[in-house]
Amino acid sequence: MLQTRIAEEVLAKAVSTGADFGEIFLEDQTETTISLKSGRIETVQPGRTHGAGIRVFVGTQAIYVYTNDTSREGLLACAEKAAAAVNGGKGCKPAPFNVVHAERPEEIRLLPTEVKASAKAEKVREAAAAARAYSDEIVQAQVGYLDRVQDVLICNTEGTFVTDRRVYTRLNVSAVASDGKENQSGGMNPGGLMGFEIFDGRIDPAYCGKEAARQAVTMLHAPVCPAGVFPVVIDNGFGGVIFHEACGHSLEATSVAYGISEFSGRLGEMIAAPCVTAIDDGTIMNEWGSTHVDDEGMPTGRLVLIDHGKLVNYMIDKLGGRRMNMAPTGSGRRQSYAWAPTSRMRNTFIAAGEDDEEEMIAGMGEGLYAKYMGGGSVNPATGEFNFAVNEGYWVKDGKIDHPVRGASLIGRGSDVILKIDRVGKNCVQAQGMCGSVSGSIPVNVGQPMIRVSSLTVGGR
Amino acid sequence: MNKNEFMDTLLKAAKEKGIEAAEIYYRAGDNFNARAQRGVIDHYEVSSSCSLSFRGMVNGKMGFASTEAFDEQAIAFLVDAVIESAALNEAEEQDEIFAGDEKYPDIEEETDDLDQVTAEEKLALAIKAEKAALDADPRIGQTEGVVIMTENGQVALRNTYGLNLTNAQRFYAAYAMPIAKDGDSTAVGFKLSYGRKLREFDAEKLGKDAAADAAAQLHAEPVASGEYRIVFRHDAMQSLLQVFCGIFSAERAQQKMSLLAGREGEEIASPLITIMDDPLRKGGLATAAFDGEGSATRTKAVVEKGVLKTLLHNRRTAKIQGVQTTGNAMRSGGMHVSPTNFYIVPGEKSLKDLLRDMGDGLMITDVSGLHAGANPISGDFSLLAKGFVIRGGEQAEPVERVTVAGNFYQLLKAVRAVADDLDFPGSPIGSPSLDVGILTVSGK
Repeated sequence: MLQTRIAEEVLAKAVSTGADFGEIFLEDQTETTISLKSGRIETVQPGRTHGAGIRVFVGTQAIYVYTNDTSREGLLACAEKAAAAVNGGKGCKPAPFNVVHAERPEEIRLLPTEVKASAKAEKVREAAAAARAYSDEIVQAQVGYLDRVQDVLICNTEGTFVTDRRVYTRLNVSAVASDGKENQSGGMNPGGLMGFEIFDGRIDPAYCGKEAARQAVTMLHAPVCPAGVFPVVIDNGFGGVIFHEACGHSLEATSVAYGISEFSGRLGEMIAAPCVTAIDDGTIMNEWGSTHVDDEGMPTGRLVLIDHGKLVNYMIDKLGGRRMNMAPTGSGRRQSYAWAPTSRMRNTFIAAGEDDEEEMIAGMGEGLYAKYMGGGSVNPATGEFNFAVNEGYWVKDGKIDHPVRGASLIGRGSDVILKIDRVGKNCVQAQGMCGSVSGSIPVNVGQPMIRVSSLTVGGR
Repeated sequence: MNKNEFMDTLLKAAKEKGIEAAEIYYRAGDNFNARAQRGVIDHYEVSSSCSLSFRGMVNGKMGFASTEAFDEQAIAFLVDAVIESAALNEAEEQDEIFAGDEKYPDIEEETDDLDQVTAEEKLALAIKAEKAALDADPRIGQTEGVVIMTENGQVALRNTYGLNLTNAQRFYAAYAMPIAKDGDSTAVGFKLSYGRKLREFDAEKLGKDAAADAAAQLHAEPVASGEYRIVFRHDAMQSLLQVFCGIFSAERAQQKMSLLAGREGEEIASPLITIMDDPLRKGGLATAAFDGEGSATRTKAVVEKGVLKTLLHNRRTAKIQGVQTTGNAMRSGGMHVSPTNFYIVPGEKSLKDLLRDMGDGLMITDVSGLHAGANPISGDFSLLAKGFVIRGGEQAEPVERVTVAGNFYQLLKAVRAVADDLDFPGSPIGSPSLDVGILTVSGK
């Protein structure tokens, strides 16, 4: 993608005015999105993302410059802008490159760029048809298909020169049920770090369509969720968004390095209930949040964040590592060249425990069973988080009584992870897009079924 | 290849390959962004980037493609991709490539001073604002940063019918997020300023106001769960309007994703509510004389005294419904519909009067988690909220960790008063504060 000779020249220019670290991130991505609405394919959009970002550090100050012009002249102009923004600094002597191609454990059998758009469109139609067929109350099924082949080159003044190819495929299915007066929706969004072979067994479009439709119809006939403080059982899979929001973001160097996070300076302390072990793992084969090298060129790994309640690791990028005087953990990620990387999650989940799923509900009295969760958000400084329950059930006397809609869950991260009192046996991963200061990136959330002894349930 | 050369070559190549009509939507921007934290600039970013969206009609069907690379290879890719894309397009009513309107509205250009302010001056402003926040209150020990940014963006639309339109968008924005701590309590403040004249930006005021915002939220507690009279302050109301403005899109209505389908002429909101879509608004962040498919834009009431006057249309949705486009086409992937400068028309009462009239209740100043807790399809929302208890018409203690839940369609009808404090917080969407009657609050 870039000759080492030019990369050397560009980096030398970037650090010429005193920066002590320089980096080039070059990207060329081909993607296809397909969207179906009202039973018909409406847009097929092939696209190409192309550009480069140059970053330099002066101590803990970061300067980032990006462009679409990746010619030698374009990159040198970028490097010059970066160098011009440096004010003092001890400088650095670039190390010779160690040229490698990132190790990729998975085998891409059907590269999306070599699959005809018509074959992709077939999968989209299959999901939509299954949603429509589920019930007469389904008035709309929208299906989106996405694939990406992202080729990157990351090199820096520490001698890193690594190329990588990341191949993603995903299906987004949403169904709307209506009785004319009210609308409710349901959705399924499976994906993986895989090519089009993901449809050989891993994604079943018809199942996704049917399941999205079932959620929408169930919620259409559900009364609104009661409001108040209750015990809450959260099912496996996307339920893991609770850990992602309540705790995960607050363990990223992005907020920890500044002392802003409610978990800053608490390594070695019991921050969660002893039944909670939480892991951020970039190495799981074919998973949506997996990486080979991070967007700073560092090999990926598996990081235990919380070990039986004890905080043992943060997720750290290069700059965060400088601020914290700690080694980076391969957690530097970004949406594209247009974003400077920062510490981010990969596949982040609560590990399987030993509790019985049936007992969890039987023993909860009155409360909420959240079967499918929606997205959420958190403010790491205060720890306040919120997320939506897409499919919920009201539990009375330890028995699932009726579906409820419109519920949300809120709380403070440091409280809620102490209040987890049951962790089930079957950990399941689910796919999401996570938005933060370095853009929107693919991540997995995951967990077995868990119970929180009390949580504020927003309803009406 | 320079950009003009690239665009000429692309339109020519499209014709040669049998694409009947083709259009380029080109966006370019030069941006600056820096953050001050702990008295130094810790993040500094400059960029110069562009992207090109291409669409073309093949056998009466529209194909789409886009690129950020501008070489020979990109031209072949775009042309072939549009042909493949068009072949799969099954939409009953197709988009069109539009030859252009006879006349486009005049946009009153606002001058700016963004080129006269050096990078060093911008950095100094950010540091000054942060210092003002830190000095304002001993309980402010640090900030999540003060960010200053400038954007110089251009849009060009060109097609094979000879249409050639351009628009520029230039502005600065600055925001401060100080952290107040007192005992166990932590609160993060937020204030934003934006405009076209950086020399008129008062960095010190931004810092001070943000510090006051943080300090006022200290020791906030949840209230008891129950039903409360609610005033949404303009900023919280703006957030709600922003997530729910899609219900006014004819595209969403035709896809049965909005309950406003076919309800033009009906009363859908309180008679106190008038909603405007004004692409010609001076200084607006979505001000433009043409939309994403080259139609002339115009100012219109979407809701007038509670009655739905029109949904927002592009050429395709208008054709389906047998009406004229409202000039709200938005190019993003395919051709969609989006509001321009879109706002609830302010009333005559001050926010203070609104609170006095309410007596006892809650004023919500912030809602979060909108991408999850608000469902634009059903209108339901259940959102993490912050604000203040209102007692005897006066602002009393701060509130946090509560949810406020309701339904946006019902909320529009329930509005009891509209304040005079319309604001566009760095967004083309704006709202005044509204008294929305009774909603359910979940707290302790």
